Amino acid sequence: MSSSSKWEAVIGLEVHVQVRTRTKMFCGCVNQYGDPQNTHLCPVCLGLPGSLPVPNEEAIRKTILTGLMLGCQIAPVARFDRKNYFYPDMPKNYQISQYDDPLCAGGGVTLDPFLFPKEIQESDEAKAGRKIRLVRIHLEEDVAKSFHFEDRSGIDFNRAGTPLMEIVSEADLRSPGEAFSFLGSLRQILLAGNVSDADMEKGQMRCDVNVSVRPVGQKEYGTKVELKNLNSISGVRRALTYEIARQIAACEKGEAIAHETRRWDDEAGATFTMRTKEKAHDYRYFPEPDLLPVRTDQGLADSARKLVPELPSELQTRLARDFGVTPYQASVLTSDRILCGYYEKAAAGTPNKALVANWILNDFLSTQPDPSTTPVRPEFFGELADLVAGGAINSAQAKKVFTELMASPTSPREIVKKLGLEQISDSSALSAYCDEAIAANPRSVEDYKAGKMNAINALKGFVMKKSQGKANPAQVDEILRSKLSA
Amino acid sequence: MSLAHESIASLRRRLASKEIHSRDIVRDLLQQIDAREKTIHAYTHLDREAALAAADKANSSLPLGGIPIAIKDNLNVLGDPCTCASKILEGYKAPYDATAIARLRQAGAVLLGRTNMDEFAMGSSTENSALGITRNPWDSSRIPGGSSGGSAAAVGGRIALAALGSDTGGSIRQPAALCGCVGLKPTYGRISRYGLVAFASSLDQIGPLTRTVEDSAILLSALAGHDPHDNTTDLRKPETFLTEKSGSVKGLRVGIPKEYFIPGMDAETEAAVRQSADWFKKNGATLVDVSLPHTPSAIAVYYILATAEASANLARFDGVRYGRRAADPRDVLDLYHRTRSEGFGPEVKRRIILGTFVLSAGYTDAYYRKAQKVRGMIRQDFEKAFASCDLLLTPTSPEPAFKLGERTQDPLKMYLADVFTISVNLAGNPAISLPCGFTKSNLPIGLQLIGPRFGEEKILQAAHAYEQGHDWHQRLPPA
Amino acid sequence: MSAPQINVSDVASLARLTLTPEETAKFSSQIGQILSHMDSLKQIETGNVPEVTPPAQPNLRKDEPTPSLSLQSVLSNAPAQANDLIVVPKIVE
Repeated sequence: MSSSSKWEAVIGLEVHVQVRTRTKMFCGCVNQYGDPQNTHLCPVCLGLPGSLPVPNEEAIRKTILTGLMLGCQIAPVARFDRKNYFYPDMPKNYQISQYDDPLCAGGGVTLDPFLFPKEIQESDEAKAGRKIRLVRIHLEEDVAKSFHFEDRSGIDFNRAGTPLMEIVSEADLRSPGEAFSFLGSLRQILLAGNVSDADMEKGQMRCDVNVSVRPVGQKEYGTKVELKNLNSISGVRRALTYEIARQIAACEKGEAIAHETRRWDDEAGATFTMRTKEKAHDYRYFPEPDLLPVRTDQGLADSARKLVPELPSELQTRLARDFGVTPYQASVLTSDRILCGYYEKAAAGTPNKALVANWILNDFLSTQPDPSTTPVRPEFFGELADLVAGGAINSAQAKKVFTELMASPTSPREIVKKLGLEQISDSSALSAYCDEAIAANPRSVEDYKAGKMNAINALKGFVMKKSQGKANPAQVDEILRSKLSA
Repeated sequence: MSLAHESIASLRRRLASKEIHSRDIVRDLLQQIDAREKTIHAYTHLDREAALAAADKANSSLPLGGIPIAIKDNLNVLGDPCTCASKILEGYKAPYDATAIARLRQAGAVLLGRTNMDEFAMGSSTENSALGITRNPWDSSRIPGGSSGGSAAAVGGRIALAALGSDTGGSIRQPAALCGCVGLKPTYGRISRYGLVAFASSLDQIGPLTRTVEDSAILLSALAGHDPHDNTTDLRKPETFLTEKSGSVKGLRVGIPKEYFIPGMDAETEAAVRQSADWFKKNGATLVDVSLPHTPSAIAVYYILATAEASANLARFDGVRYGRRAADPRDVLDLYHRTRSEGFGPEVKRRIILGTFVLSAGYTDAYYRKAQKVRGMIRQDFEKAFASCDLLLTPTSPEPAFKLGERTQDPLKMYLADVFTISVNLAGNPAISLPCGFTKSNLPIGLQLIGPRFGEEKILQAAHAYEQGHDWHQRLPPA
Repeated sequence: MSAPQINVSDVASLARLTLTPEETAKFSSQIGQILSHMDSLKQIETGNVPEVTPPAQPNLRKDEPTPSLSLQSVLSNAPAQANDLIVVPKIVE
């Protein structure tokens, strides 16, 4: 038994997600990145004396929507609280957040097997499809961005006061792979609801990880370590893999795990102590007196309910059931809603839906298309699939048609004509070819008549060769058999 | 007679008929200021030329067209300093107008100068100002009350027609009582707080200090109403107050809360207030004995909740984005500590520490949460009382103006001066203080009328009727 | 029950204040007195006090942009600035 299998990791995530809105959380300044520094500021988000916050209804609605998508209970009355601590990136030196009465409680994220790292998608843990419970989702304001120079720091407050959702999981995760799938699955849901772009590499989704290890079978948690500076989903996985190994090694040596915050250094591939947690923060939470409680039960929650989209799991089920695609294809389509929409249009007018999926997910996708702007109309793929399925062209010819379709997008039927790939289905022409074949191959004719049914293939080959491959194979087969049995 | 002695109501009529011009009023006021400001020191900032220039441009057809108003130095006025009487806001210039200021401008008012206050509105005597003390216009050896002491002394001392103040625990009414003017604290949510530098957000209200009750109604009408910038403002439609004056208190049920007549209170004050109650009775009102049983807890509740909120509200003064910054900070922590330790005065520090403590881990339940619950009970007390009466009649302050320096070393005793005004902020009700007599040594005494929530019209009508029956408001302070 | 012993310096430090020894001594005794007064609240039975009910009409803001301050107006109040950033001593985590 390997030493690591005696140990079990316990992981909980706190995920911060930027909510996509036009304006900030508590003022009308534009919620937008990459603009000139310190230009999206007003008395409210700069924390000037006398200014007051007013909550952005849309940010609240999108948080409720997230809660609904994740199966949370929505609080009929939610409250904002002040979280007090001093930091130069926080204009008021308190953050308006939610403490006692968050917008959403409970709920969960089901781990999508295909959103596990590729090489373990076939593993039992991936296939298990576990549901990771959530503690809560609350809404708060983001802080400013600091730039560090040799002897001082500079602050751009544009990001200060933009809406930020915090999604807190239970400590239900047991492996780096599960954490990886959790973040991917969550992201897919956020994208489906148009709540956020949730790109970790752009800081739109940020993740703090709590991780501890314990002997398998032990109920009590080990000492938990918080990991910071995780800037990608794969970074979270790498950091966890390293940190779990580090903790197990320490435990096996009988060393105590320090209750601390560690920083992940992606280049070094290791975590390093940032600060110990002996002195816990005292945030002195109290209800935000500048804001009335938010009632969600008088229209707000209903308006969010109307925005609930088809969820990834629902879409996957529907694609498998109505389109006959494989679970893997369903997962690929689900993770790219624009491509999925393209596919659905392509498959709409044809019974050959699975065939269309193959064309789009293999050949089309390999050309790295932008499905929202491509001049290749989705119906063309339906047409192509029909041509193949109906026997008008064979698969080798279909490849030629596809190449031409990409080069100059037009109807595949037109392409088939243009390339002269049309099959000959005219029975008099085919009959003439067949007569010629019978006349030229007396030996095969004899063999066939003697009961060697395979001998017919030589005759068919002759016809195909003579017709430059355009003869309709099924029809040829039929004509030859009738002529030979006469 | 100098125009500085007239009421807004009367000046409005004279301005509208073009008999006088706004510049005349400002000029007369500046003359009074020249004569009295050296003694009183009501103003922290006064731009004479700007006031005269604004008067020249005034549009007398507007409700407050050409009427000069003084502004407490904790309201943001675009382009002006807003010191809150604190060193920590040195150098700050407001890049925006408070909603109350914007509404005064819309109504055509001329902004006349900024008035002194206790630092960040923390105090009852205006002695906690980093910009010097203000003296009571009736006796310059005494305090004007606080925290809107500059506003009250200016109006009471006839060097302003009217002023805006802010009231968190009595900061409009108590100085109004001590300086012989009318001070109104509206219902919480009636006037937008946007642009008022916050002391305690759940208690703060802006309100007018005026010579007469009618003037108070005129200013309230200009200031009141929902503001999309203040989530806590009430959504009801704008009102105009005291458009018709009943002049009568007949049939009015006046509640006399027994907890507001306490042993140890000043005898002359008690007598004056009881006489006022008799006047109401003589003029057809019914006096009803009521009880507000949680009154004795109000001060403790107030100083827990107000300081807790203040500890967070004042965290933004850190020397990073505006205001004073300590010289050559070693690091960010040093920047915070030295900026704040140098910038705040002792009372502000004391309250920040107290507020931080009552919110800190392990003490929140015993102090902050407990106080929130008792606040709910105080609110219930008022609701019950208003089931049997239309308004409450009490003293504003248990005593007239005390001597400068008398209480500065005893904060608890200073806090007890707010005993009659604080509950009203905790409950969110409106209340008005108006002159109801003078002590033998010629110090003003204030009468407080408390209304049900959003019952400003009721207390203004009653106060106006009382004022019509007396001439206290016409008495002039010694020259 | 008497008021808790408050360590004024520690609490001040939470609020980013440094007190002189004189201030510490003075505030300790004054705040101690005030807290003793506040302890009278403990006698009050607050079992069934109802929560303050929120108003029926939500006062929220539509997600519509409003004008921001000019960069000049933001920076003119800042005690230190460079290259359009507000400058502070180096922040170390």
